[in-house]
Formats: sequence, structure tokens, C-alpha cells
Amino acid sequence: MEAFLASLEATAPAQFLRVSRWGYAAVSGTHILGIALLVGAILPLNLRVLGLWPSIPRATLFRVLVPFAATGLLLAVLTGSLLFSVRAQEYAAVGYLQAKVVLVLVGLLSALSIHRADGSMLEGASERRLRFHALFSLGCWLGALACGRLIAFAID
Amino acid sequence: MKVLFTAILLLGIAISTRAVLGHHGWSWTTGKNTELSGVIKKVRLGNPHGILEVAVRDQMWTIEVGQPWRNERAGLKDGDLSEGVEIRVIGEPAADKSDKRLKAERLFLGDREYILYPDRD
Repeated sequence: MEAFLASLEATAPAQFLRVSRWGYAAVSGTHILGIALLVGAILPLNLRVLGLWPSIPRATLFRVLVPFAATGLLLAVLTGSLLFSVRAQEYAAVGYLQAKVVLVLVGLLSALSIHRADGSMLEGASERRLRFHALFSLGCWLGALACGRLIAFAID
Repeated sequence: MKVLFTAILLLGIAISTRAVLGHHGWSWTTGKNTELSGVIKKVRLGNPHGILEVAVRDQMWTIEVGQPWRNERAGLKDGDLSEGVEIRVIGEPAADKSDKRLKAERLFLGDREYILYPDRD
């Protein structure tokens, strides 16, 4: 594990980002863009499932927002991996980062599994199942956001 | 599922952080400057924060210096901050006294002063 983290720090992008002022700023800014797209789409999606805006068809909202959430997640994971590689050995030891990775993985797996089981617009799912999943999803993604932010601020 | 949900939320909230990384801003410091002198034992420079481990008498302190652009602007060259170098640092320590950590505002190598934060005292 230590060797893997060290080799991650030795990669060319990590070395570049460790010293580049605007390169680092760009990647960190794009990470925020990814989070904004992801959470900005996840919130209305789940609130709709929980019963807000009943006059808007669920499928319509899903068609617009699911691709945004997916694109946001992809951006956030790509840039997040780059930011991680800059200080891999130190970040790997941070509890908030470990918790964040778990929350992102659980959030992703639960989204994939419900879409797989109940269709891309979740047309096959029961109301009860949908509501539970919406709360679970909100917990995962907002939790991941909070843990991610705390990485930069938390002190023992 | 509910148990898993609760467990994950608790995990997110309860886990504490090992103080190895730098910290944003000054909210975690005392607001008052302190001066420390010692010998650099370990150096980790680069984004997002530069970190020095400095032996101050019999105590190890973690000194947060700037990112590369800030250190460069202060006049520091590659290799100036390296193991074995004697350093005098002026900056704000962590408000939590058990955390031997100080965010540098300026530092001295020999007689030469390097100012990381020109707008701070």
C-alpha cells in the first residue's frame, strides 16, 4: 500500500500539480464544478422522489438531471484522484477522506443497483423503496460533500 | 439497510483526522504571533501546503509554510528549506495547545528574512 501511494506521488501529473499554482487551482476548481453538478442534480432528483413538485413528471426531471449527476461524478472522481495523488501518503491516513471514499462508493453502488433493478427512470420501483433510496442517496452524497470539505479544515 | 445507512452516517461524522496535512485559513490559530527557532528535520513542500517538521529544543513542531508560489515570492529558492537547516519562524500557533503546529507568516534563514504573508504582522 505504502509503495503504491508513493508511486502515485511520483507520477508526472502529481509532480506537476505539486508545484504548479494555476494547474493546481484549475484541477481544484474543476473538482468543485463536478461536486456542484453532482449534488446540484442529486438534491432535486431525490426531493422529487420524496414528493416535491408532483406536477412535474418524474421521467422528465430524470432525463435532464441524471446525465448531469453522472457527468458531475465523473469530473469529481477524475479531478479528485489527481488531487489525491499530489499527497497520496498523507491523504490516505485522513479519516474524513476514508469516510468520503466509502460514502461515494456506497452512493454510486446503490444508484447503479436501483437503476439496474428498476429501470433508468426507476419506473419499476415501489414508492416505499423509492423513498428509502432517496433518503439513503441524500445521506451518502451530502455526507461525502461534508467529509470532503472537512479534509481541509479539521484538526485533531 | 437502515442499519447500514446509520452506520455510514456515523462513520462520516465520528471519524477524526490525523493532523498530518495543512489547514485552510487562520481560523484554527490563536491570532497572536509566536517565534520558534530550531532545526528542520523533515520537509514536504508543494501544493496545497508546504510542511516542515522542526526540532525546537526537545519538541517537534509542524510548521506550515506556503505553497510553491508563495515561498518563491518570498525569495526562497529550491533547497533553501531542507533537512538540517537552522530556521527561525514567526507565525501563529494552533489554538489547541496540544497540537504543536504553527502557520508561518515569515521566517529567517541566517540573517535573511523571508516574508510569506506581507499583509500580516
